[in-house]
Amino acid sequence: MKQPVLSVRNLKVEFVTRRGILRAIDDISFDIAAGEVLGVVGESGAGKSLTGTAIIGLIDPPGRIAGGEVLLQGSRIDNLPKEAMRKIRGKRIGMIFQDPLTSLNPLFRISEQLVETIQTHTDMNAQQARERAIGLLTEVGIPAPEKRIDSYPHEFSGGMRQRVVIALALAAEPELIIADEPTTALDVSVQAQIITLLKKLCRERGTAVMLVTHDMGVIAETADRVAVMYAGRIAEIGPVREVVQHARHPYAKGLMGAIPTLESATDRLTQIPGSMPRLTSIPKGCAFNPRCGEAFARCFVERPDPIDVGGSEVACWLYKDKKDVAA
Amino acid sequence: MTLQSSHAFVTVRDLRKVFDVSKPWLERTIERAPKQFLKAVDGVSFDIRKGETFALVGESGSGKSTVARMVVGLLPATGGTVMVDGISMTETANSAAREKLRRRIQMIFQDPYASLNPRWRVQDIIAEPIRAFNLLSSQKDIVDRVGELLTLVGLSPLDGVKFPHQFSGGQRQRVAIARALASNAEFIVCDEPTSALDVSVQAQILNLMRDLQDKMGLTYLFISHNLAVVRHMASTIGVMYLGRLAEVSPAKEMFRNPRHPYTRMLLDAVPDLGMSGRARIPVQGEIPSPINPPSGCTFHPRCPLVMDRCRAEEPQAINGVACHAVQEGRQGTMATRLSA
Repeated sequence: MKQPVLSVRNLKVEFVTRRGILRAIDDISFDIAAGEVLGVVGESGAGKSLTGTAIIGLIDPPGRIAGGEVLLQGSRIDNLPKEAMRKIRGKRIGMIFQDPLTSLNPLFRISEQLVETIQTHTDMNAQQARERAIGLLTEVGIPAPEKRIDSYPHEFSGGMRQRVVIALALAAEPELIIADEPTTALDVSVQAQIITLLKKLCRERGTAVMLVTHDMGVIAETADRVAVMYAGRIAEIGPVREVVQHARHPYAKGLMGAIPTLESATDRLTQIPGSMPRLTSIPKGCAFNPRCGEAFARCFVERPDPIDVGGSEVACWLYKDKKDVAA
Repeated sequence: MTLQSSHAFVTVRDLRKVFDVSKPWLERTIERAPKQFLKAVDGVSFDIRKGETFALVGESGSGKSTVARMVVGLLPATGGTVMVDGISMTETANSAAREKLRRRIQMIFQDPYASLNPRWRVQDIIAEPIRAFNLLSSQKDIVDRVGELLTLVGLSPLDGVKFPHQFSGGQRQRVAIARALASNAEFIVCDEPTSALDVSVQAQILNLMRDLQDKMGLTYLFISHNLAVVRHMASTIGVMYLGRLAEVSPAKEMFRNPRHPYTRMLLDAVPDLGMSGRARIPVQGEIPSPINPPSGCTFHPRCPLVMDRCRAEEPQAINGVACHAVQEGRQGTMATRLSA
């Protein structure tokens, strides 16, 4: 198999607090291949954004990476010195954040921000960089880019700003893009445009994408594979079709049933009782056991590790002894 | 304009709200700039029958929250009338009857973190409407009633002594619902009640709201930008665009057969979770600024069925749809475009 662009191995992130050490990400592993979109979903507090932050090395104290490895094209990046990591961010890993207004500097024109980014990561002169910036804006679908490039961020609408942010992320032709809730602040109609754009650009360039979102709909439209996170762990990871249509982990199943859809005929939504545990009180055994309808003795004692179940990896004791049985 | 019925519990007629967004007087005088007005809501009419859920959907800036605020009386209307159970909310006459009506109307807000006073205990938050309307006098009765309300929304009566920060987002929204029910409200205006919540919690709250509606015969005005949520909750849906109602249809009918091109576009923009690969028109453009809306039909710059008439003439709502193309029977063109 080809070497994955990003490979996360047994990553653990901890926060040291007065009340003790809180483990926010607990032993997660996944790969993303070139041109692949990995969706990371979960509810607030599941650790999905933190995973992205850990990969780009932006975890601030008291948080720290407590174990595991992050490999970019096969070489470790989690233990690099600050300066070396700074060169990787933006150049080899691009980032798109939720709120396009806060990720652009309101005091600088779009042109200045784009040209600065391009010049930081390449050795183009100002004129070339500007031409490239216009090219990028054309690519992300901004009309009349020669004119709009000298506008300030506030002169753009939300959707247009997010397009500019995507252009910024693509400026240095990164190998990996981490998009953290890129469409959450946008209206549905604009969201659809941004998703289509992101998907098209990454496919064309063979960029690997880690798409962090709470919106299963966005994942279903965009991702090739999905990781469902719960309380700092991956509950289920597999091809998008498998997870969306035949979720196996009881949490993933519940999550899928809880989403109101345009097609569903039922009047009542499936609901998962309770809510995600706080980091201070993660239950023993499987973290989902208090909310799980299918929990049995083992779930309260031992923590399940991901096991192969028909194409997906599921961290659930239900599947331990019936690996071959189709769910 | 639609579903005209004598049983309408809430009647909204030609509701308007104009905000003055002019620059300060001095600046305006120096620049010789005219006053600027923003028509946030421009002639909205609908009826809600008792026990029904009427949903307003639309993109940000379409004026749906402004309608909600005018209906409950949090914002004075610039024009038009709101009648609840035959009593006018907008006219100043008959204020005694309106005071009585207030008790029967409550609101649930989007952000359960901002809508509960952080310094009050939950029991005081829920008891506030009871005290404000003098519904119960003895302290014991109030405590009992608060406990009953907490149980009703799926919390424990013992939770009453806690403060809002001790609850999760979903639990806070339950507290907000309990508060809305405390005054025996019959009509509840919900402004994006689940947008701040996670999906699994959203499902809990939506189910709870439906159960309460069945149990107590509540009438909801439900504001949301999420069509899938609306489909789950509403009996009738109004689609808003730039302060006007583009389409009002019964919920089932709208999802089976969206008539207005904008409704069609909104439906197509919803991510396809079933992965059925249904044919969709790609969405175009963004909602324009309401300060300077397009001429004629305000949707015309984004509309696939646009004609000269749409640019010049504002469409009137006929049969619940305000669209020249639909009224001229041209929406078939859209279907052919779809299959092409």
